[in-house]
Amino acid sequence: MKLIKKILRTIKSDRLLLAGCIGICILLFIVVAAPLITEYDAKLFGPDALVAPGDPAHPLGTNHLGQDIWSMLIYGTRTSLMVAVVASFISALLGIIIGGIAGFFGGWADRIISELINVFLMIPTLFLVLLIVAMFGSSILNIMIVIGLTSWPSNAKLMRAQALSLRERTFVKSAQAMGENRRQILMKYIIPNGVFPVVANTTVGMANAILLEASLSFLGLGDPTVISWGQMVYDGKQYLTSAWWIAAFGGVAICLTLLIFYMTGDGLNHVLNPKHGKAGE
Amino acid sequence: MSEQKKKAYIDIQDVSVFYPVKGGKLFAQGEKPIVKAVNGISLQMEKGEVLGLIGESGCGKSTLGRILVRLEEPTRGDVLIDGVSTHELIRKDPKKFRRMVQIVFQNPFDTFTPRDTIEKIMMRPLKIHNIGKDDQERHKMCVESLEAGGLRPAEDILRRYPHELSGGQLQRISILRSMLLNPTFIIADEPVSMLDVSVRADIINMLLELSREKNASVVFISHDIALTRYISDRIAVMYLGRIVEYGTADQVVKNPQHPYTQALISNCASIDPDEESAAIDIQGEPPTPINPGPGCFFAERCPHATQECLKKYPEYRDLGDGHIAACMHIGK
Amino acid sequence: MSETVLSIDNLCVTYKNRQKKVYAVKNASFSIEKGDAVGIVGESGSGKSTLAMALLRLLPARTAEVTGKADFLGRDLLTVDDKALADLRWKELSVVFQKAMSSFSPVHRIGEQIEDIYRVHTPNAQKGEAKERAVELLKLVNLGDRVWRLYPHELSGGMLQRVAIAMSLLFNPRLLIMDEATTALDVVTQGQLLNEIKHMEETLDMTRIMITHDMSVVAASCNKVVVMYAGDIVEVGPVKKVLKTPAHPYTQGLLGSFPSLKGETHALRAIPGSIPDLSQQYNECIFAPRCPHATEACRKARPEPVQVGEGWSSRCVLCGGGKA
Repeated sequence: MKLIKKILRTIKSDRLLLAGCIGICILLFIVVAAPLITEYDAKLFGPDALVAPGDPAHPLGTNHLGQDIWSMLIYGTRTSLMVAVVASFISALLGIIIGGIAGFFGGWADRIISELINVFLMIPTLFLVLLIVAMFGSSILNIMIVIGLTSWPSNAKLMRAQALSLRERTFVKSAQAMGENRRQILMKYIIPNGVFPVVANTTVGMANAILLEASLSFLGLGDPTVISWGQMVYDGKQYLTSAWWIAAFGGVAICLTLLIFYMTGDGLNHVLNPKHGKAGE
Repeated sequence: MSEQKKKAYIDIQDVSVFYPVKGGKLFAQGEKPIVKAVNGISLQMEKGEVLGLIGESGCGKSTLGRILVRLEEPTRGDVLIDGVSTHELIRKDPKKFRRMVQIVFQNPFDTFTPRDTIEKIMMRPLKIHNIGKDDQERHKMCVESLEAGGLRPAEDILRRYPHELSGGQLQRISILRSMLLNPTFIIADEPVSMLDVSVRADIINMLLELSREKNASVVFISHDIALTRYISDRIAVMYLGRIVEYGTADQVVKNPQHPYTQALISNCASIDPDEESAAIDIQGEPPTPINPGPGCFFAERCPHATQECLKKYPEYRDLGDGHIAACMHIGK
Repeated sequence: MSETVLSIDNLCVTYKNRQKKVYAVKNASFSIEKGDAVGIVGESGSGKSTLAMALLRLLPARTAEVTGKADFLGRDLLTVDDKALADLRWKELSVVFQKAMSSFSPVHRIGEQIEDIYRVHTPNAQKGEAKERAVELLKLVNLGDRVWRLYPHELSGGMLQRVAIAMSLLFNPRLLIMDEATTALDVVTQGQLLNEIKHMEETLDMTRIMITHDMSVVAASCNKVVVMYAGDIVEVGPVKKVLKTPAHPYTQGLLGSFPSLKGETHALRAIPGSIPDLSQQYNECIFAPRCPHATEACRKARPEPVQVGEGWSSRCVLCGGGKA
């Protein structure tokens, strides 16, 4: 109870974070309550194609196949959030473990991992993703895994820096003198005390994952069997002059969601900054 | 260093730590700069003895402490505990070594991971070393230990997080936790220098009492000479990685022989306002221990230095009753 | 007849935020004569640094409420306007902090930094005037003029602390406040510095406040001592008397916690208990819960300072009519 109160107070103390959190709550509500908000199945090809927005049955219009844009937006939220969560989870997990090992163990492990991070940071992620998707197919699962596998280096860099400074702290030395082995020190002392910057970075990573999925869809490499905002923009591209609404609403949804995640990330960064006092306990 | 080769309980044999200086000039010529943080320390300690290690910052006293608990590897030398090489022991049975040798750190506010409760923190060593048959028994051991250490109500303290406790309480917990493992060799690295004066005495007395109870040997590292004299049986004075003087606490503090010890003690302010401070002025400040020597390391600041001092590092001179000092001008 | 440099009267500092008030300094009153060296001793949370910060007007006005009077050469430090305050600082009243290392800019030479300060306060100074003055002062603290051309990272902590002291003396201030200025230094360096300060005083005729937690620093370098505990000034008096026959039980306890360097080793005794919560107001002697001599009278009202000797008072009811 005390913890929840403390978290609530921390969220309230930062306006960006508060706005971001409210936004995320709305998104989550949409994800859960999708069937209640809209009467159409987004995948249903309706009889009325290219209805302009403002129609009583289709407030945001329909696309060239007669799908309801509003329903597509709502169901697209599911796809986007799933991509965001799964991809950034993979990325955070990899980043924390790899970065933690590099920073804590040091020596040759650190040298190899640091070089690997540099290599990954040098390669343009989009091309790497394009290559892999082209090779292994573009199912949504593949896309999520690929995004996760290519975006861990920034997390690893953060975690490595944390581990480097944490391993000199007295409580780590004390654990060592107590007889903890190195694996336990990494898991019980370094990682729990060093994850916060990674957590903050991960929310920004989620925004990037959504954007990347949208980019892939826009390039025609998205999963054609799911509804996604990127897919909507891709589909609407050719009707841009005659039916602007197909692409426009998807684009707006992407922008708004990115904004929400960036605000949360910035707010978290601000609140979890050690200079900001003892937050996050 | 003493002649009598009686088997001492703790036998520190010629321990050194050298670090290469990182960076520096790209095409540096000649001898590579090496920091000789600890430079050939040999000491013997009896069971239950308290040895004070004093010196200024950068003299290598804390590094020596970390070597003794093997948080750092010595470049050279070994420490025998009861005739057993710790070098061997930590390879063969690291947990046994950890149970035997414990350390109390300077900063009690940073000794515990901030995310765990005191209960979790105190139970950890018991779990690692398989002491107590279940968590219930371990919990009981923690409660007993805290109560014996004057931390009451123990149940309440166990539920707290480190940031909710005062420095004095945390340092007590740190000592009590170390004692749960029944160590026979304890290193206390400036254990009270970050605490308020009025609580220091309690911590010191508790440390002394518990180690006496277990008949453990203690190395007490400090820059506070009055305090070190109070708690130690013997004192070793370090300067730039070497021991310059060693003897009983009173020998070293009341009758210092090495010019460095004399300067150190004469500059130490006393709380007695009538005590005349005839501070011996030594020039400059301790240089860094990069490639020191070949002469006496203290020679360039020493008021009595001669040409001879710059040639060779002086041998230890026996001044009787185990009091020794490394200065060639003593007794002349 | 000696002249009073600073006279503090009923000074209180209260920190406040939305949830609570913290009474950091309560009814502090004492005075400093010309040529005095006053040591303010206390443990963490005793309010000694807050007191100094209040005198220097360095506390944030939004969260700290300062009341009372601090008469410094006829002007009240607590109410004087900003411009007058700026004139007072450095010229009449200067301060040296514990971390001199971090009060220097790392990218400018020591000389440039001293010159800057000199020029701010004497806008029409001649070229070279600052250097002349500074080199003279650097000699006083045992530093050569070599230091003038060096960067802060080329000096050790002790040397930087010396530079900071020399800088604080640029304008011959009437009062110098040293806030834990020797705490971070090694024994030998601290000893040297204290000696240099004493020598300096003989030549410069200055008045000094020394804020420290270390009794031995006070014993070695001051003639008057102010002992603080939990925001209260519990004892004020001449160093030689207070340190030998302390009147207040807290001073007694504090002195009993210091081991003697060369004298008899007596068993060290700590003061039991811990500092009270300063967000409460107490209607009793604030030390009573930890005091070995506390009686009923102590718990009835907050004691007023009791005269013990000449220039020597103690905030303890037991001091008036014999000790317990």
